[in-house]
Amino acid sequence: MSVIANSPGVLSTLASATASGFTFHAADAGPWWMALVPGLPLLGAMICLAMLLFKRDSGGRSRLPAHLVTALLAGSFLITLLGFFGWDKGAPWVTHVFEWINIAWGPGAGESLAANVSFYMDGLSWLWMLFVTGLATAICLYASEYMANDKGYARFFAAFALFVVSMSCLVMGDNLVLLYLGWEGVGLCSYLLIGYFYEKPSAVAAAKKAFIVNRIGDLGLALAIYLIFTTFGTVRYEELFAMVSQGVDGSGHALADTWQATWIPLLLMIGAFGKSAQFPLYVWLPDAMEGPTPVSALIHAATMVTAGVYLIARMYPLFLLDPSLTALHIVAYVGTFTAFLAATIGMAQFDIKRIMAYSTLSQLGYMFAGLGVMATNGAAYHVFTHAFFKATLFLACGAVMHGFAGQLDLRKLSGLWHIKGWRIVSIAMLIGCLNLAGIPLITSGFWSKDMIIAEAFTTPNGVIAGSSVIGWVLLFTAGLTAYYTFRVFFRVFVGPVEYVPGDEAHADDDDHAHGNSGHSDEHFHPHAPGLAINLVLAGLAIGATLAIIPNFIDKDHHGWVGGLLHESTAHYQSGFTHHEPDNEHALIDASTGAALVPVAHSAPIHPPATSHGADTPHAEEAVHAGSFLGMDPHKAMYYASAFFATVGILFAAFLHGPVGMWGLGLGKRTSAAVSRADAWKRALGPIGRWAEHKWYVDEFYALVLHAPLRVMAHIFHAFDKLIIDGALVDGTGLLPRLVGRTLRPMQSGVLQGYATGMAAGIGVIVLIVLVMTL
Amino acid sequence: MTLWLLILLPIATAALIATGSRGAARGTAMFGSIISLIAAGIAAFQFDWANSGAMQLESIIPFMPSFGIELSVGVDAVALALILLAALLQPLMVMGSFSAIRDNEKTYYAWLSVLLAPMIGVFAARDLIFFYTCFELTLVPMFVLISLFGSTNRKKAAIKFFLFTFTGSILALAGFVYVAWRAAAEADVWTFDIATLQTVAQSMTLREQTWVMLAMLAGFAVKIPLFPVHTWLPLAHTEAPTAGSVVLAGVLLKLGTYAVFRFVLPFVPDAVAEYAVAIAMLSIVGIIYAGLICWVQRDVKKLVAYSSVSHLGFCVLGMVALNTIGLGGSIMYMINHGLSTGALFFCIGMIYERYHTRSMDELGGLARRMPIWAFFMGFFTMASVGLPGLNGFVSEFMCLLGTFQSGAAGVGGVRGPLGFWFAAVAGTGMIVAAIYLLYMVGKIVFGPLKEPSGHDHHDDVHAPLPTDLTRREIGLLVPLAIACIVLGVYPTPALRAFEAPIRNTLSAYQSVDFEHSNAHNNGHIARVSGKEGATP
Repeated sequence: MSVIANSPGVLSTLASATASGFTFHAADAGPWWMALVPGLPLLGAMICLAMLLFKRDSGGRSRLPAHLVTALLAGSFLITLLGFFGWDKGAPWVTHVFEWINIAWGPGAGESLAANVSFYMDGLSWLWMLFVTGLATAICLYASEYMANDKGYARFFAAFALFVVSMSCLVMGDNLVLLYLGWEGVGLCSYLLIGYFYEKPSAVAAAKKAFIVNRIGDLGLALAIYLIFTTFGTVRYEELFAMVSQGVDGSGHALADTWQATWIPLLLMIGAFGKSAQFPLYVWLPDAMEGPTPVSALIHAATMVTAGVYLIARMYPLFLLDPSLTALHIVAYVGTFTAFLAATIGMAQFDIKRIMAYSTLSQLGYMFAGLGVMATNGAAYHVFTHAFFKATLFLACGAVMHGFAGQLDLRKLSGLWHIKGWRIVSIAMLIGCLNLAGIPLITSGFWSKDMIIAEAFTTPNGVIAGSSVIGWVLLFTAGLTAYYTFRVFFRVFVGPVEYVPGDEAHADDDDHAHGNSGHSDEHFHPHAPGLAINLVLAGLAIGATLAIIPNFIDKDHHGWVGGLLHESTAHYQSGFTHHEPDNEHALIDASTGAALVPVAHSAPIHPPATSHGADTPHAEEAVHAGSFLGMDPHKAMYYASAFFATVGILFAAFLHGPVGMWGLGLGKRTSAAVSRADAWKRALGPIGRWAEHKWYVDEFYALVLHAPLRVMAHIFHAFDKLIIDGALVDGTGLLPRLVGRTLRPMQSGVLQGYATGMAAGIGVIVLIVLVMTL
Repeated sequence: MTLWLLILLPIATAALIATGSRGAARGTAMFGSIISLIAAGIAAFQFDWANSGAMQLESIIPFMPSFGIELSVGVDAVALALILLAALLQPLMVMGSFSAIRDNEKTYYAWLSVLLAPMIGVFAARDLIFFYTCFELTLVPMFVLISLFGSTNRKKAAIKFFLFTFTGSILALAGFVYVAWRAAAEADVWTFDIATLQTVAQSMTLREQTWVMLAMLAGFAVKIPLFPVHTWLPLAHTEAPTAGSVVLAGVLLKLGTYAVFRFVLPFVPDAVAEYAVAIAMLSIVGIIYAGLICWVQRDVKKLVAYSSVSHLGFCVLGMVALNTIGLGGSIMYMINHGLSTGALFFCIGMIYERYHTRSMDELGGLARRMPIWAFFMGFFTMASVGLPGLNGFVSEFMCLLGTFQSGAAGVGGVRGPLGFWFAAVAGTGMIVAAIYLLYMVGKIVFGPLKEPSGHDHHDDVHAPLPTDLTRREIGLLVPLAIACIVLGVYPTPALRAFEAPIRNTLSAYQSVDFEHSNAHNNGHIARVSGKEGATP
């Protein structure tokens, strides 16, 4: 594959694309009240903070912080909705608020650094803001009940509101520096909320780990911003993408084939891997489950962890600048690997919240694989559907944890469906599981995942090498997903009613809580969820179901999400993603086999005939999109993914299902603790244990990263003490010591003595000057 | 005259304290420091910010005309900003000492007050000898504060501090005098006027410039402190009383970086361009080396002290990037580090007053006992770690961006001495900073509550401090917190004011061809005449 912009055909296509007006829209001035979207939660955070600092007595347990923040978040959501309908797919809105970091060294363009607090609203920002503010409001309402018995109620909601502020800046910022502010801001809030139970050493350690691992990614992002600024002379999207759409840097030179074109996406990718917990930087996310469950639902499942997907989608044109697509290849491979690896770990865990955490990792892997195989629509749609169904799943797990005194072990809970007051939770859980497993046709999770897998098969191997392998791995992983998802459901929600409360109920009475795992604890009564929790769960379950609708509207753009992305910087599409006949050959630079040309579905561009390099041997193969076993992937995928999902669920039913209807007739489980899977796991030998121990990746990192760094720190410390300070400084001959001895009488503490010293010092100086002049 | 007033006010305050009664000492010190702050505010008001590059509020008192020595003062925006920082910290330091210093109050407050005078003198001086005198005179009050009011190992710390920095600055003086001698040889008249000497120094040969640079750096690098001449700092910080640590981190270290900005960069541009890479490497080594050392400290005050070494590495790195963004970041770093690290020393001092230990083995989970203190500790830690929205980010981001940009033949086609790899390696300092600062917070603020055994608030001879912060303590942290937020959220006015002084400093580098010197690396700097492209 050679250089896009070097190829005359593509260049002219680019030019015509620019001429036809959809390459990059100039922005309109947005309304001032868009600043209220982050502004209202900021106000909430400040009020909570003030309550925290000035109301010394925290025994009041006032619900005011929760209600206040919920109301302000709802306001934020309403403004977003209002703005969204007002925007109506027009030009992007830019709302300038105030100047943040500005310094100039000349009057001209490109002779200043201008990073301002301004908000940029295009289709991508709207999509993210709609579900961020919407879900934040719902989860905040849930938390008002969930967190009611915890200390530091105001502290929780202050950090929660601050998170929404940061996330808004990340998504809405009109420049990369403001995005970076949000990026680190969400990291801080994540740190504060994971470490919410700060007296628990494991929570503190998890919070620290999350922040530090994220910082590794942040460094990548920071370097990417430096490189972008150095290359383009700007950090503002408007100016940046105007240049990128022309394929030139700040001084007008063509960018293709430069090292910047390769490195900018690679560095951005590292940033995305950190925040979105992709291999090898994923280790912080499972530990982040130490935080309260609403936090896990909002931050560590629905919103913050999708920031990496947002970043890559936002910067997609920059990823396409590199003709060999190095970064996109890595994104695709790493995403696929993460999806598979996390699924294998998820299958072997017993803590249902951890299973959900690994499933989040796995689904994020799908999104990254989607971005890698150029299915930006699929990735973004999967972010959207995943936000709903994963929030539902987490909040359902949270309700279980809340009701059963912190119990999360699937071997100690069974048959929740049949316990009074738990029906809504169970139904919500079922809906979430169906979506996560990707039950065909009726679930949104099916459609969004399907888009990614189909695209992996559609994208020619010549563009993303091995994309059909990616497709197969993702398909197989879909089967694993269905298995581990329904493993939870079959174990915990159906079957014989049994439960052992967690240790939060009997903190002072430990032997009672543990030990008797065979039957229910006589003294313990599960605490059924109240109104707020049920209301939010029902709402989210409905939301997760309705998230299917966007798939069927705006067919021109492959769904509503595609329509939004079309009006954003992520609208660069690969030509082979359309299987309409007239698009089949469009936009494919035959001499390269790559089709990296901006295109709109509504206005297909045919490259000039000259670019059809008939003399290129593989030209004919290259222009054909990939296929799935000889069929059109988009059609075949309905059956293929349906098959894998069904097999996964049947396996789960066979291994974990209870006797009877809820085990689909396959199950044989009669107690909470024991199932057929135990025997199977023994048969697997050590593999099951390895998976349960997360393939020992944490231990590996401790051995090869943490320990050597720590040793190095100790060596440096010793070196500083003994060599630099000891040998070099203290041992620089006798002189310093001699002078020290002469000076020692000076420390008399008598003022006159010091004054004499001062005068003498000045005298010495004057003397030196005199000597030098002579 | 405002500047003279600023220099004389602390001396007058100290004189009043020394002659006044024992009980009036702290009140007088407080009053005097507030007057100084007001005077600094007046100076800022008189200053024409639209013309921030020009020396303003100038005033000259002839002193030794035959040697060309004058008492000459004047400030541009950078000097004034640092004067404001010093004046802001002064009342807070006095306030922060009320409960810590119970004996020998007159001596303590007199020396603490008088310290402000030479500090302002350093920033305001327009005469080299006057500058040097002030630079050295800061040592004496600091020496007294450490050796009389410090902790157990105070004598050793004070002597080391004094000797180390004094030895260095003697060499710097030699460098100054050489330049003055050169000027006198040319013009037949002795002068120590900074503006005059700057022109002379720039015309020296590379060989001369290199020697002068080494002499000056010998003095200033110790003060900053740059690796490997940093070892006096952790000791001095650990042993100094709280206010001493605050002023040390807040202002005294900035005397070194300010001197590099004011003298080294504009005096010897060819030598700096030649050795920028070496200086940058020392800074980067310092950033990572000191950062990792922080991570294995048991004494929380020593940890913050070593973090200063690491942080100041960024400051110097931004400076030798030799472009506007790097220098702008560096100047912001001087102010921001003073605020956030100064505040951290206050926070640690408050713990020390309550528990009489700074050992992280004996302290833990204090958030439970002292939630308000924990909030401030966390806040300033985040400012220090460089969280966007707080002040530390602006400067760290700009220093690294300047470093990065320095090397690319990007916009404008101009190359500086540093580049991608310098920023990438120094950037790992961001990760290291997160590691050691969160290690600190995770130990003493969070985790299970741990207090020294046998600790009892009521065994104090004096009135015991309540568990959480008093109003006075909150009152002294709040202004710092506000400053951190303001400089983090709206640094643009400050940055705009620094543009002109930076342009003045960088004008010496307009004609230095870094591309040439880097490409061939033959130790020869080409001065290309008539090259128009400004170094960004």
